[in-house]
Amino acid sequence: MTAQSVKPGARRVGPALWFVGPLAVLVAVWAVAVAAAGTPMRVFPQVGDVAAAIGDMASSGDLFRHLGASLRRMGLGIVLALVTALPFGIALGSSRLLSAFFAPLLRFSVALAGIAWIPVATLWFGYGDRAVIFIVWNAMFFALTYNAMLGVRQIPLQLLRAARSMGTSRTRMFTEVLLPGALPSIVTGLRVGLGYGWRGLVAAEIIASDAGLGYALFQAQKYFRTDVIIASMVIIGVLWLLMDRLLLAPLERRTVQRWGMTGVGR
Amino acid sequence: MTALEISGLRKTYTDDYSGEEVTAIDEVSFGVEKGEFVSVLGPSGCGKTTVLNIVAGFVDLSGGTVVVDGRPVAGPGPDRGVVFQSHALFPWKTAYGNVVFGLRMRGVPRTERDERAREYLDLVGLGGFEHRYPHELSGGMQQRLGVARVLANEPAVMLMDEPFASIDAQTRRKLQEDLTRIFESRRPTVFFVTHDVDEAVFLSDRVVVLSGRPSRVRDIVEVPLSRPRRWDEALALPAFRATANRVNELLAGDEDDAGHLDAVS
Repeated sequence: MTAQSVKPGARRVGPALWFVGPLAVLVAVWAVAVAAAGTPMRVFPQVGDVAAAIGDMASSGDLFRHLGASLRRMGLGIVLALVTALPFGIALGSSRLLSAFFAPLLRFSVALAGIAWIPVATLWFGYGDRAVIFIVWNAMFFALTYNAMLGVRQIPLQLLRAARSMGTSRTRMFTEVLLPGALPSIVTGLRVGLGYGWRGLVAAEIIASDAGLGYALFQAQKYFRTDVIIASMVIIGVLWLLMDRLLLAPLERRTVQRWGMTGVGR
Repeated sequence: MTALEISGLRKTYTDDYSGEEVTAIDEVSFGVEKGEFVSVLGPSGCGKTTVLNIVAGFVDLSGGTVVVDGRPVAGPGPDRGVVFQSHALFPWKTAYGNVVFGLRMRGVPRTERDERAREYLDLVGLGGFEHRYPHELSGGMQQRLGVARVLANEPAVMLMDEPFASIDAQTRRKLQEDLTRIFESRRPTVFFVTHDVDEAVFLSDRVVVLSGRPSRVRDIVEVPLSRPRRWDEALALPAFRATANRVNELLAGDEDDAGHLDAVS
């Protein structure tokens, strides 16, 4: 309590430094290695070349066009995955029979989710937004469903009994007990699912789209623009880190950590 | 007036391993009057918690009847509030959120909920802690919150399943006195399951002693102690010792039976 109130600013410097520091070291090693080896730009560009490529992409407006396309698809895919996977997973978790039946099917599907579906997605939806959004949804759906199901099964029996003995109806059970009770596991599923979804997005954009970061990456290869390829990869990686830090970390802090549910079982 | 009436209660189940029909509860009958504190005591594994789970509606009975406030029990309901050994508070709700949970489920208006939450948090000595989450409270505070969460619903019977069993000895004494004080001021009807003889005698108006498996009522012992009760006073009273001894004798008689059964099987 007291430590928190003394220096609120000082506590944030450490984690931020540990977030940026290792990345800065990686960039430094990259700069030194490329300079020392004298690698030609076609094979691996220097840090400055990549920075310049990002600058060019930004000034031409391409960066924001691709970024906008990717983030919009990702956002829609996430929303679709949440509204379909959470009710389904929670329903599965509340029935022993259903979860026994679906558990192996879900584990099977998690392995195939996302990228392996791109050929089917292009057959069904053609090239463009819908195929890419389908892949993002598909990549996330199974991991999210599976973890929501596990989360419900891990809720202590006494909590369910306590709720029932206070007159909780079936529908309110869902929002008041099953969803928050399963949240530690759902957050795990979201972290895994977002990773699959993000990779699925990039892969689907390479194959089935005419805009987006994956598409930019693929186009650059056609013109032997290694600097643009690496620039796109850097942007994809940095966006993922930001997504984790700006979406998942605050969600975890405000829910499972605040509720003391981070330990095993509770 | 009788708040809870258990007659001819039987519970049998099929053992998963042997496939045999096992009788857990053979014939249990007793009543709890409105505003009475009754403990159910028995050797471990005797099925006392099963009796509580049947009254709560968590477990189906195989025979006999359980009637609460004139209505036969069918499934869990807000007329029977349960205080669990593992507290079973919702970790995602604050102390306030836990206390008003049942009221919200039954559509009690907000102003009344707030009023009752304050009243019952104060009653259990948690006034000022309403914004704390369960994990930020001590074990003793968590159990008191569990009691407030049940009492706020004003159930016909409060069922308590060894609520202090996993609390350290000193805190347990304090919690037993707190519970007695709450009982003496509000007179809820309490059905209390325990394996601690002193606890049962100190808290209760009557103690139902069950035999080992299959459970039957061995005897029902009246506790001749006046209220209010405090530990230091109770321990000095010959009547307290005499009652506890009587209960111990009933339990000891049971151990002989259990030994005999073990020898046979």
